[in-house]
Formats: sequence, structure tokens, C-alpha cells
Amino acid sequence: MKQLAVLGILALLMVLGVTCTPEHGEEEHSDSHHLLEQLKQISVDSLNYDFSRFDHVDKEKLVQIHQLMEGAEQFLIPDRLAEMKSYPCSNCHSKSLEALQAGKEPGEKKSHWDIEVVHAKTATMQCATCHDVNDFNQLHSLTGAPIEFRHSYELCGQCHSTQIKDWLGGAHGKQVGGWAPPRVSQTCVGCHNPHKPAFEKRLPARLNTEWLK
Amino acid sequence: MLFDLFFKTRKPVEEDLPQTEGGCGSGSCGCKKKKEPAPVEPDGYDMKMGKTMNRRAAFRQLTAGLLAGAGMVQSCSITADKEKREEGQLKWEEYFKKNYRLMSDEEKSKTVERLERLYEINTGKTINVSTNGAVENVLYGYAFNISKCQGYMDCVNACVKENNQDRSSQMQYIRIHEMENGQLNFDDADDNYFHEVPAEGHFYLGTQCYHCENPPCVKVCPVGATWKEDDGIVVVDYDWCIGCRYCQAACPYDGRRFNWQTPEVPEEEVNHTQHYLGNRLRKKGVMEKCTFCIQRSRSGKNPACVEACPTGARIFGNILDPNSEIRWVLENKKVFRLKEDLGTEPKFWYYMD
Repeated sequence: MKQLAVLGILALLMVLGVTCTPEHGEEEHSDSHHLLEQLKQISVDSLNYDFSRFDHVDKEKLVQIHQLMEGAEQFLIPDRLAEMKSYPCSNCHSKSLEALQAGKEPGEKKSHWDIEVVHAKTATMQCATCHDVNDFNQLHSLTGAPIEFRHSYELCGQCHSTQIKDWLGGAHGKQVGGWAPPRVSQTCVGCHNPHKPAFEKRLPARLNTEWLK
Repeated sequence: MLFDLFFKTRKPVEEDLPQTEGGCGSGSCGCKKKKEPAPVEPDGYDMKMGKTMNRRAAFRQLTAGLLAGAGMVQSCSITADKEKREEGQLKWEEYFKKNYRLMSDEEKSKTVERLERLYEINTGKTINVSTNGAVENVLYGYAFNISKCQGYMDCVNACVKENNQDRSSQMQYIRIHEMENGQLNFDDADDNYFHEVPAEGHFYLGTQCYHCENPPCVKVCPVGATWKEDDGIVVVDYDWCIGCRYCQAACPYDGRRFNWQTPEVPEEEVNHTQHYLGNRLRKKGVMEKCTFCIQRSRSGKNPACVEACPTGARIFGNILDPNSEIRWVLENKKVFRLKEDLGTEPKFWYYMD
């Protein structure tokens, strides 16, 4: 009986020994802590995805950005013109700004009374710094070169040079539609109100834990 | 001695078996009203809400002689309707399914069919459980901009909703830590902030599962219920997990969560687009965690937290793609990871403007 038991235990141990060989324990893992260095050595010639960001966004409402920097990727952004509700501006701005202002009754509300400009100091920025008072349907650069509304990032990038660099690369801004190519990103005014670009303080969408209640 | 022990445990089986077999033949039922079905608790598939029975207890019962099966016993009851019988059968089959990694494609589709049908029987609603595998030449990576996060917590809301997390225990995969500027100390961080954000002089750092390339949680799992997929996502087989929580103890980043109770998600809030290794409904006593929203990422979408973030602080993508945004961040920004000295190689980087 005892012998049998010993034999049984031995057999059990052998079976365990066979089945317990590490199946994934010791994966080939280099000592290098630089995953990035390893990544650079991997060449992925053909990345084939069955999906793209076009699956999740309306392709018709996207525009390609201009080449701003040498080598920068010309990705897609939502078309601002498709989002603007009262465009073209010349529907109302049919006369010059002076004529429009002169036509107002004393004390009458300004047309854009709801817009408060909280963007740099007035010594640096005023309406006409970005808006072209001679052609309200477009914006203009600091030197007066016309800029389309849909390409307003060119305007922002004049001062916010680090942000535009990060945006072109992909560190600033929000990915739209997914992660797979072709790249679609939110444009500056997609997240920031150009008249008041700072994000406002608010209560969190939820309390981190509601146990406190 | 060994055989004595064996015999003792076997005996009841031999006693019980004829009883059930005699009472209930295959199909043609000999049992009458007088034979009430044994108080059989739902065996095997106990994923369904409201049923309490863990795997161990179920196993004990089975070996004690109810091997002839709840399905058959139930089929004997005249009151049991067709759906009940079907449910029993499905649960029975679910209980004896394999570890997900050992399943053939056919077996995978069969278990998915069963899960979908069981949900339909129980709620009348249909779910879609995917078993999509890793996309070739993809290794997912994530970057978090600590200069941009404002602590709004929209990511947490989106995550809970997308991943069918237990509402009653307020399970959350993401934690947002409010830290004083110039410090990076989790002991002093406020994880339960309760005021308007961003708070003056503070920054926000979010943590979740980092999907380490060298995941310690996977190493310690005694049953192989958690592993790293080819696209780098660390997943859990909820039907294989025994709930020992070794992985939770092994994770240096507080990335894993445990279901201490049966998760409760109101039916109208359940996300019906699910993945077997992702957001399908869990059960009591199993681990779960962030899966980079596997049900979304494997079809090209961003994880729910990335999509919900109002500040663009979260970047996701394929780190093998040299043209991806995430790669640009890794190559051009100052990035760091937490506890790099451990050699876990998280695929989750933090960076600053």
C-alpha cells in the first residue's frame, strides 16, 4: 500500500513537472529599458488596416491643412466653414465697419455684444488683429495676408509657435475619429474659443468617488 | 491511504449517480411530480446577474454527485419551459468551455453564441460579443499630457459607461490624482477632490492599467487567466479567473480591480457592443481592468477616455507606426513612465508641453 502511495505521488510529481513548465514566464525580454530604441529597429513596411478614421467621421466635412513646416504631415481637420452658422459674414457686413457702426442708434446693442475678447492684452490683440475689416469673409495674418476661416490655425500659429509645432506633430490637440490613419485632428478653434481661449474652471463631470456623499 | 481518501470522496458519486440516471433518462423522462428537482444552483455559467455561486462551490457540488447535470434535472420538471431548459443547457456548456486562448475559432464563436443567447433569454435584449483578434503589426501605446489634463473627469464617466462597470461599488478603471505643482508623490495626491477644477497650483495625473510589455500581473496568475495579447493589450478571461487577486497584488500601478460583489449595471445602461476579453458583463469574484477599450481599439476607434477627453490630454495609437501621433510624442517630447526601474515597460507615457 505504502509503495503504491509513494509511486502515486512520484507519478503525480512527474505529471506536475511536465505541465508546469513555464509557458509564457520567460519571454525573451531584453535588459534594455529603452522600448523606444527597440521600436525604431522594427521596420513596418506595410501597415494594413481594415479600417480608417473615415469610418467614424464624415469625410465630406474635412479639409486638408496647408504645409506649414517643411516635412510636417498634412493631415485633415474638420471644416470650420461647415460648422459656422452665419457664414458668409458679408450677409450682414455689407457695408464698411464704420458705416455699420455709424448706422446704430445711440445706445443700441452692438451686433456682437455677446462676444467678450479675453485673449491677450488689448495692446496686443483687438478684433482687427485677426478679422479682416475690409473683407469680413476672411481672416488675415499680422502682415495682412488673407487667411481662410477654415485655415485659422495659420493665424494662431503666428504667436503660439510651440503649440503649433506640437499640434503638427500630434502632441497637442485632439485625435478625431480614431487612431488608424489617415490622421484627422481637431483644429485650434475646435476646442478653444478664439475670443476666450483659456479653458474655464468647472466642477468635474463626476466626483472622483461618491462615497463622500 | 491515498486510495482510501480517494474512495471516500468517490463514494457519494456512485451512490448518487444511479439515482439521477434512473430518474431521468435521456430525453424520455421517467420522473413524476413527486420528484422535485434537487435544489440545484446554477452551475458553470454564473456570469448572469443575480445568481450567486462561485466556481469553487459549483465544482464541489458537481464532484459530490450532481454530475448528471442541472440541464437534465431541469428538463425533467414539467413546469420548466423550453427556455429554462435551453438556459440550463447553455450554462452547462459554458461551464465546461476552455480557456479562451485554447479555443479554436469555432469554439470561440460557439461560446459567443451561447453568451448572446443567454443574455437574450434573461433580458430579451440582444448583445453583440466580438472575438476580434489583434490586428497585425500593431502595438498599442498611450500618452498622457500632464500639462493639459484639468481634472474634469469626463474620461472616467465615459469609461464606466463604455465598459459596463459595476455601478453599485462605483468601479472605475481610471484614477485622476490631483498633485501640487513641483511634486510627484502619490501619497500626498488628492484622489477624492471635491471642488472646481483645475485647482490653483495643482496638476492632474491619470492612472489606469499601463499594459506593460513585461507585465508582472501575468506572471503571477496561477491559472493563466490573464495574458498579453499580440497587440500588447493585457486581458483577463473572466470565465477562467479564480479571483485569487495575485495579479492585483503584483501590479505596481494599482491597475486592477476586483468584483467583490455581483456587478450591477441597469439594463438600459448596458453597452451592448462587447468583446469577449473586454467589456462583456463580469461576475462576482473576478478581476477586471482597463483593456484600452479592446472592443473599440481593435476596430480603429480610440478608447472611450481618449474620445471623451475635452482637453486632448490623451493620445492613443500604434507605436509601431512611425507616422502615428503617439510615435511623434515619444520621439519629440520629454516623456516619462512611472516606476521605470521595475522593468515592467509600461506602454503608457506621461509628457509635458
